[in-house]
Amino acid sequence: MENLGNQIFSSYQRNPDLFDEIFDKDGSVKDVYKTLFDLYGGHSIQDYVRLNEKAKSSFFNQGITFQVYGEKEAKEKIFPFDLFPRIIDTNEWDIIEQGSIQRSRALNLFLWDIYHDKKILKQGIVPLELISSSDNYLHQMIGVNPPGGIYNHISGIDVIKHTDGDYYVLEDNIRCPSGVSYVICNRTALKRALFGVFNHYQTHTVTNYAENLLDLLETTKPKGVDIPNTVVITPGMYNSAFYEHSYLAKTMGVELVEGRDLFVENDFVYMKTIQGPERVDVIYRRIDDQFIDPLEFRPDSALGVPGLFAAYKKGNVTLANAPGTGVADDKAVYTYMPEIIKYYLDEKPIIKNVHTYHCSRPDELKYVLEHIPELVIKPVDEAGGYGISIGNRLSKDEIEKVKKQISEAPRKYVAQPIMSLSVHPTYIDQNESFEQRHIDLRTFTVLGKDREFVLKGGLTRVALKKGNLIVNSSQGGGSKDTWVLKE
Amino acid sequence: MLARVANNLFWMGRYIERSEHMARYLNVNYFSSLDAPNQLSQSRQFVLRSMLFMVGDIEEDEVVELKEEKVLHKIALDHESTFSIINNVKYARENANSARDLISTELYEAINKFYHFILNYPVDTFVKRGLYDFTVNVTEMTAILRGKIRGTLLHDEVYAIIMMGMNIERANQIIRIINAKYNDALKAQGSYGDKFSHSFEWSTLLKCAESYDMMRRFYKKTPTSITTLEFLILNPNCPRSIMNSLNQVYSHIKVLDPSKKYNKNSTAFLVGRVRSEYEYKYIEEIEGNIKNFIDTLLKELTQISKKMEKEFFNY
Repeated sequence: MENLGNQIFSSYQRNPDLFDEIFDKDGSVKDVYKTLFDLYGGHSIQDYVRLNEKAKSSFFNQGITFQVYGEKEAKEKIFPFDLFPRIIDTNEWDIIEQGSIQRSRALNLFLWDIYHDKKILKQGIVPLELISSSDNYLHQMIGVNPPGGIYNHISGIDVIKHTDGDYYVLEDNIRCPSGVSYVICNRTALKRALFGVFNHYQTHTVTNYAENLLDLLETTKPKGVDIPNTVVITPGMYNSAFYEHSYLAKTMGVELVEGRDLFVENDFVYMKTIQGPERVDVIYRRIDDQFIDPLEFRPDSALGVPGLFAAYKKGNVTLANAPGTGVADDKAVYTYMPEIIKYYLDEKPIIKNVHTYHCSRPDELKYVLEHIPELVIKPVDEAGGYGISIGNRLSKDEIEKVKKQISEAPRKYVAQPIMSLSVHPTYIDQNESFEQRHIDLRTFTVLGKDREFVLKGGLTRVALKKGNLIVNSSQGGGSKDTWVLKE
Repeated sequence: MLARVANNLFWMGRYIERSEHMARYLNVNYFSSLDAPNQLSQSRQFVLRSMLFMVGDIEEDEVVELKEEKVLHKIALDHESTFSIINNVKYARENANSARDLISTELYEAINKFYHFILNYPVDTFVKRGLYDFTVNVTEMTAILRGKIRGTLLHDEVYAIIMMGMNIERANQIIRIINAKYNDALKAQGSYGDKFSHSFEWSTLLKCAESYDMMRRFYKKTPTSITTLEFLILNPNCPRSIMNSLNQVYSHIKVLDPSKKYNKNSTAFLVGRVRSEYEYKYIEEIEGNIKNFIDTLLKELTQISKKMEKEFFNY
């Protein structure tokens, strides 16, 4: 136990093996956090508890909730939000921003290639079977030219800081990455609760996301369209991310549609309005590939629009992200990112990749099977943190079970050294005190036809369970406001 | 605007309006009965039956003894009864949710707060001693919603559709309330010399429509059947009157139909036709045959709703 002379941090315990974002090894507060630390220290625990409650009710009243279904009535819960913000200084941010753009661009070129000439596969830089065996490779997309040449308009790149103090990319999400609305809500909530702290820091805004998104999406409008009509398509109000869909539509000032609001005639897409049909040119879709068009993909999908894919193939409508992007955010493709970046851009990765062992390669499989306690084992095609085994948490029996699973289907697994996510002081309700919790950062990068945008901030996700490394909100993670400082 | 979303907003308006009238009906009938001048109006059974009549869940059995707590729960907080206030507000919120990108944050937050207020209202407190508090809160919160609708939304077709929903519903509710109280006044006549035309129930009726004070100001006389019905049906300056509701619907539907071409198949044409039918009526023409009038008007309102659905909400 260490007393830091500051009431709300007085019981903060530092584990020296972890990288603490605000305290140096010797226990002193890092420069950039000093002012913040003193400002928060000015509160008593009681003050802080009250502020925390207020922030919660702000989320509740804004209806930023997700539903838990009970017997009679669905109960609503808010996503846990921590009032102590994360700060990223200009220099570090430059790495993240440049690195995110680099990866997004490389992934876009990679997608174009594997759906056209397949050069990278023919030259053996990325193994052919990696792509051909992937469920997310859509043969329907072969030879299709997406409007503006963009596949992954929106990329959510998850970045962590390891114990060595360097940033690493943990994964690329280029299907329908979500979470951006929480970035803005977190900022709003923090401003409502503790507006005074913003007087001491020059922080970049995060509210410019929607306007940039709309601008950049519209640079990829179909040919021959002058002023594009853009919409957001959602699976509907019972989807867990519905708040985000409505938030984005509202802040972009465009219609929020469901599949049943659209129809296709002569390969053009229309929406049904009170004044009759109106043409739609750009669709930001928040529906998975398999559901967008029952004629082309899953025939039982009620969420999609029959004929949409044909209209897309003709170049009459833009889909963002393009169908078939999922093949490139596969965890197995991730491991080839340094090669992919080198191949298309002739650059070195600006943000590091975590070293990865491919269980599909016999020698690496052997290494993995022998070193399970030191590794994280991941299925290559699961999203949301499911199916991950962390080696040093497994009992002997469990290790044997994992070994068996891997040996049975080596292609399905990759392994990485256990990365230690950095920790950030996080207020824990039950203990009424700050404690170290692991965090990551999801960044949001938007690619347009000739320019790109990275949201200066991103979503810092917190694993609220002590020692837990999995930060996804579906697994009980919380989040923090994230400040990118101006120079 | 999307046809589906337009439909949802229309119904959001209707549900908000409906919950307000239901809450006020409960409140006024219950509390005015406590010291009513004649025995029947004072009878609890009479009041509970009137409440059920108004919400359309008529108790046909003349002898059965109604349980007060059960009836109140059924009308206000019962998740199982489709017409309950809690379900109305739930539907209003769901509709608002689906159109969240079109309405203001302020309006959404107000609806959301309203819903949580009702959801968290303890049933036991409500049925035993919360009737006044609950119903007053509901009517106040709907007034806030009305203010947010008028004060924070763009006055475009989104606004026009919500207002159409509210006004159609208001006309519907007022006519139901008139029907219920007309029924009560018929039953109450004769007891302690209470004459139909000067029944105590007319005052209650006016209070149910929040129009009592203004009615007194307009006529400067105790309400009678004639003056009450005239005020609530035909006076275009009374904000709750059928006439005013129809006028409102007419002016809002014009926003959706900017062509102003002669089209006898349009909803606007139908609304105008119904409206002008009542604009120059004498109350005496209605008062003689109130039952018939109520049936006709309800039919006409349904026709308008159906036509609107076909013209605008077809998806």
